[in-house]
Amino acid sequence: MKALVFVSAVAFATPVLAHHSAAGIDRTKSVTLVGTVKQFGWQNPHSWMEVDVPGEAGVVTTWKVEMTSPAFLIRAGWKSSTVKPGDKVTVKVFPLRDGDPGGLFQSVTLADGSTLTERAAIPRPPAP
Amino acid sequence: MRFVAAIAAAVALAGAGVAAQAPPTPELGVLAPSNLSKPRPKPPFTITGTWFIDLGFPGSWRFGPPYPKLTPEAQKHFDASRKAQAEGKVYRDDIGQCWPAGVPLIMTRVWSISMVQLPTVVYMISGFMNSLRVINMDGRPHTDPDLLVRTFNGDSIGHWEDDALVVDTTGFIDHHHWIDSGIPASDALHIVERIRLVGPNGTKMQIEYTLTDPKSWEGEWKVTKQWNRVDARDMEIAEVECLPDLNSHIPSTQSKENVR
Repeated sequence: MKALVFVSAVAFATPVLAHHSAAGIDRTKSVTLVGTVKQFGWQNPHSWMEVDVPGEAGVVTTWKVEMTSPAFLIRAGWKSSTVKPGDKVTVKVFPLRDGDPGGLFQSVTLADGSTLTERAAIPRPPAP
Repeated sequence: MRFVAAIAAAVALAGAGVAAQAPPTPELGVLAPSNLSKPRPKPPFTITGTWFIDLGFPGSWRFGPPYPKLTPEAQKHFDASRKAQAEGKVYRDDIGQCWPAGVPLIMTRVWSISMVQLPTVVYMISGFMNSLRVINMDGRPHTDPDLLVRTFNGDSIGHWEDDALVVDTTGFIDHHHWIDSGIPASDALHIVERIRLVGPNGTKMQIEYTLTDPKSWEGEWKVTKQWNRVDARDMEIAEVECLPDLNSHIPSTQSKENVR
């Protein structure tokens, strides 16, 4: 079976609202995962997703994807029901530097073709 | 007769000794109605509201660079942190392992902070791990060192000084507490904050920090941070806990490359 993981270079970094250091994330690369949602956690301080991705020899690898908090996902158009186990998805992540199957969420493309990110405007008061 | 009198005197003395060891009457708490209602000057402003660190303000959420001259012990941590960073590794990310961020870093996490100001106290609850900070404003001194329970957010007392709320904080815990990556806070950390409202209609809050910690750096470390008032419902704080089973799903906290 053809590998369903693609790696590409990216030119800029996406800010993240994390509860920890993100130094272990390689923001110069983007990995595209084509697979099936195994689990989706809608919780504070981070939501998260696990995606099963079939590999070359038919071996399925579970990727762990960390996401921002539900409050910011809601601002970006998410609901707790946006993804659920069994959904076919294409997920882009900034990968871990250590090579393990995991990374920081960039976007998801759902079966209906719609794409969601977690970008939400940092709140600022209106200009005086 | 003399014998009876001696016994009576001994009993009286013993009674006096018992009375002397009785616990003192507790002083009023900050939420006691009779403490809240004591006459006090009207404060110049209220910081009651929800605030979010201004990431566009110089320095954003971090307290350095620039950094003060570190002590040799702190410098070892700092050098190790920079080495790890250069190698794309995380150095002692205690917050990622669910240790509290602690003051001052808890103030600048990229999460909302709700603040409730009363005449006798200011409560700050960070949306980040629901960290609670209490600033006593009822005129009490710092907690007796013999009674103090050291914490990550410290023992804070505040008073009004012209157009500023001045907060003095000591009593910090001495482990797993960092000012920035590789800069440890010790039990000698002392922080003075001058809090002011700035900008139109009090929509911005600035805090001038003066940090001293002779165990970690020399002299005073002065930093100013700014927050924006956020009134939208979806910026309210919510229940947030750092849970072991959550961290098992967050790959960057579990990396084998992390420097513990």
